[in-house]
Amino acid sequence: MAISASDIRSALSLPVPSTPGPSQPSQPALRRPQIQPAGKPANQSTKKPEGISRELYALIGPSAPSLAAHLAKPRLKQKPNLGGSGKVKWEWRPFKNDARGDSLQLSHWMKVTSDPEAEYPFVKYNVQSAPFTYSQDEYTRFLEDKEWTKEETDYLFNIVNEYDSRWYVVYDRYEYPEGPARTLEDLKDRYYSVCRKLIRNRPWAGDESSKIQFISSYQFDKEREVTRKGYIASLETRTAAEIAEEEALFIELKRLEQNERRFRKDRDELLRTLLGVDSGLPDVIGEEDGPVGLVGETGTSGFKKKKGVKGGVGIGDESPMTPSVISLGPPVPRRPQSAKSVAQDAIHCIVRTDPPASSTPVQKTTHVPAHLRSFKIPLPKTAIAPKVTQALTELGVQHARLVMPTRENCMQIESLLDAATALVETKKVVDRVEQEIRVLRVRLGMRGSEGLEGGGEDDADKEADKGRGTPMEIDEGKEEEGRAQSVASTKSARGRKQSRRSISVSSIDTSASMSTRAGTKRQKRS
Amino acid sequence: MVNYGGDEVSALVVDIGSSSVRAGYAGDDTPKAIISSYYGYKANTPDADVQMGEAEPQGDASTEPAKPKNDAKLYLGQHGPSIWREGMEIGNPVRDGTIFDYNPIPALISHALVDVMRSNPSEHPILVTEPAWNTPADRERMAEIMFEEFQVPAFYIANTGVLNAFAAGKGSALVIDVGHSMASITPVVDGFVLRKGLVYSALPKLVHAHARHILVGSTQTRRGIDLYPHQLIANKSPVEPSAPPRFTLREDRMPGTTDSWKTWYENREVDEWIQSVAGVLDQGWNEQAAAARPPRQYEFPTGYNMYFGPERYQVGEQFFYHSPQLVASNPNLPKNIPTLLSESLRACDPDLRQVLMGNVVLTGGGSLFAGFADRLETELLRNFPHVKIHAPGNPIERRYGGWLGGSILASLGTFHQLWISKEEWQEHGRAIVGQRCK
Ligand SMILES: Nc1ncnc2c1ncn2[C@@H]1O[C@H](COP(=O)(O)OP(=O)(O)OP(=O)(O)O)[C@@H](O)[C@H]1O
Ligand SMILES: [Mg+2]
Repeated sequence: MAISASDIRSALSLPVPSTPGPSQPSQPALRRPQIQPAGKPANQSTKKPEGISRELYALIGPSAPSLAAHLAKPRLKQKPNLGGSGKVKWEWRPFKNDARGDSLQLSHWMKVTSDPEAEYPFVKYNVQSAPFTYSQDEYTRFLEDKEWTKEETDYLFNIVNEYDSRWYVVYDRYEYPEGPARTLEDLKDRYYSVCRKLIRNRPWAGDESSKIQFISSYQFDKEREVTRKGYIASLETRTAAEIAEEEALFIELKRLEQNERRFRKDRDELLRTLLGVDSGLPDVIGEEDGPVGLVGETGTSGFKKKKGVKGGVGIGDESPMTPSVISLGPPVPRRPQSAKSVAQDAIHCIVRTDPPASSTPVQKTTHVPAHLRSFKIPLPKTAIAPKVTQALTELGVQHARLVMPTRENCMQIESLLDAATALVETKKVVDRVEQEIRVLRVRLGMRGSEGLEGGGEDDADKEADKGRGTPMEIDEGKEEEGRAQSVASTKSARGRKQSRRSISVSSIDTSASMSTRAGTKRQKRS
Repeated sequence: MVNYGGDEVSALVVDIGSSSVRAGYAGDDTPKAIISSYYGYKANTPDADVQMGEAEPQGDASTEPAKPKNDAKLYLGQHGPSIWREGMEIGNPVRDGTIFDYNPIPALISHALVDVMRSNPSEHPILVTEPAWNTPADRERMAEIMFEEFQVPAFYIANTGVLNAFAAGKGSALVIDVGHSMASITPVVDGFVLRKGLVYSALPKLVHAHARHILVGSTQTRRGIDLYPHQLIANKSPVEPSAPPRFTLREDRMPGTTDSWKTWYENREVDEWIQSVAGVLDQGWNEQAAAARPPRQYEFPTGYNMYFGPERYQVGEQFFYHSPQLVASNPNLPKNIPTLLSESLRACDPDLRQVLMGNVVLTGGGSLFAGFADRLETELLRNFPHVKIHAPGNPIERRYGGWLGGSILASLGTFHQLWISKEEWQEHGRAIVGQRCK
């Protein structure tokens, strides 16, 4: 295939080149004195530049565009060297195939170096299975069957052997003249039962268990096969309507199952809430929608869960009055901190927090996943959230996102939110009371009785005073909060004022704020 | 070498179909010689025993075959039937997929092996294909021809169904072969044909006849189309689409043109039209879908040309659906593909059906109709949820799958023990063929 440059040139009747290509090294006589470009050594031009394939260079010769050499810098992958260097000689050689019983000589290409006497490599695939045979004596003693004649049994064994027990083919080719029509199961049944009988009645070299095992490898349950085939056939003969119906039924079944599962879950939950430990139910059913990212090694999470269950039971025992509060984390004993580590914490601003107190009403999780502190800032109740936000925006506080969510700032924003919530709730109460007062007053005026008027007015005035007082406090709170916010952002002076404010706020209605907090937390989890 | 299981002994593979004879070396991926199965012959005595009536509606030379006399001169291959010769008749040795006339067979095989491939058959083992419904007598006859006339050292005859499965790399498959004259469905299990599930019909002939009917029959918009071949046309001038053609016939040749040659060339024109224009709708018949497809232009040798619209999909539809009127008018209508499929599967064991449906092999030139494989899948999916169709995209592979399977089989190292050697033939006689080639 190699076409040399001279071939091409002669074909195109071009003049002989000044430099012969590398494919004409055998013509040194053709070499003529060459004009070399300055600075180029003479032998360079005959050497193949990198990056041009040998065949291409043989064709284009030294006039190779120098660009190609540069462009082709990224070297191609080396051609793999497939075993052994140098050429291998092959020859057309006749061979003997020992799988054949005759003298047919076929030939094939073989390496000259290979052994001509070696066995044909494909002979080893010519394996014949040993067929089952039986004597006339054996047949009369064990194998008689009123359905089968000996001739037909012989025929069956022949054909099974001929097609290597490919039963579908055996059945397809089975044509015993004047025999009754046989199904595939009939054939298999006869064949395997004969085999079993033969094994059972012949002397057995090995132990009993291996014999039983061998017999069981010839087991065939005709009835079962026939029923199974019948089922398959009936599956195929279904009409479209039947298929649709079946599908609908299946979906219905799934739905019922799902309903039942949900019902049971609800019932269990109810029982657990009402009876607690007495319900005898494990407190938590691991659910797919539960938290996945567990703190610590997930490998031991199952174990930890179990421990959590135990802890829950223990606490339930201690406080039977609050069965709904099932603690999920066993109270982890705090490691006593050495003075040194305390000092180190102080230097590095490390604050160690206790695991969530077991008193918090948590229903499911045992573990609190690792989280950013800023994520855990509770949101106000949705019902009053707009009002809280409004109050905060009046103050110029962006509570949705903290610029610098440090521990202190988070605490502050949390208490701010609490305060704002409490404020809004109080305002609501106040509004309601005022409204009631107004209504009552109107009613009172309508009655128009003199004796009662004075006292009622007094009361109302007092109430009104209270109502008037609240906005003032709100103003104060607002002022404080504004400052607190600037504190939070500048992070310079913090402390007393803030705590005072929180006291003042919480003095308004502590219980309210507490309930709000719990409410927001629950809300957040759901 | 052993790893691939291949061991080439330079065997020859010959696949005789009703449209062409394919021959080549085992181990190759395409046949070296593809020659037409149709051949021309001239009886030495003019007006010999040929009594071709008017061309039948089915219109195929092989339906009412004429046999040349033994001493007739044969014209084969490239320069055979396609060249006009005065008084030349056309014959085809294959009818309904099997060889019914063995006289021209040696000549055809010799033409392919010796004249085209330039090989010497007496030096090569030879594998010949047969359709699954071949008779034992026919395969023995083929063995006799090979051993006695070609002096081959070894011979084997294999089933096209099995070979098509092998060509697809499968031991078990449901082979759907749509050829030139026959469509067949062959269940193959572990390399053996399940004869009980084998079904076939002359469906391609019906499709061909339908196409011819569309072309020759006149409609409101056009007259029937003349199917003269270029051999009979002296000159023509270009015309607008659907305009009447302007051409002159070679009157000198008309008297010497035989009826069988006329039938042959008309069928060829129809075939060419089918191959470039006809198709199948992949989702079943639907007037709108057919009308929505772009029409395709086709020019006949007479110069007549037109755009063919929905009618080109009516042609392929015949493979899958027969209208009640057609069924009523023709009691011997060849069964269509869905009928063949359900018949074949009904004969198979229920356990096997799913296996076969997962290994459907589509093969044969007739399956090259545009959209055929998609339509087949649509039809199959109607009754079976899991269907996998193996349909080679390469037209050579699709059309000559039988030959390709033979090429694979005859180059397997483990196969060489199966050859019937000349020695065995002489020793055991014809019986060995049936024993060895199961
Ligand atoms: N692209 C095509 N579209 C439609 N039909 C085609 C196409 N190509 C070939 N054919 C048809 O395929 C047929 C030939 O197929 P194939 O070679 O499989 O037949 P065969 O094996 O000789 O015949 P058989 O199997 O019936 O004896 C021809 O009738 C031809 O019209
Ligand atoms: Mg074919």
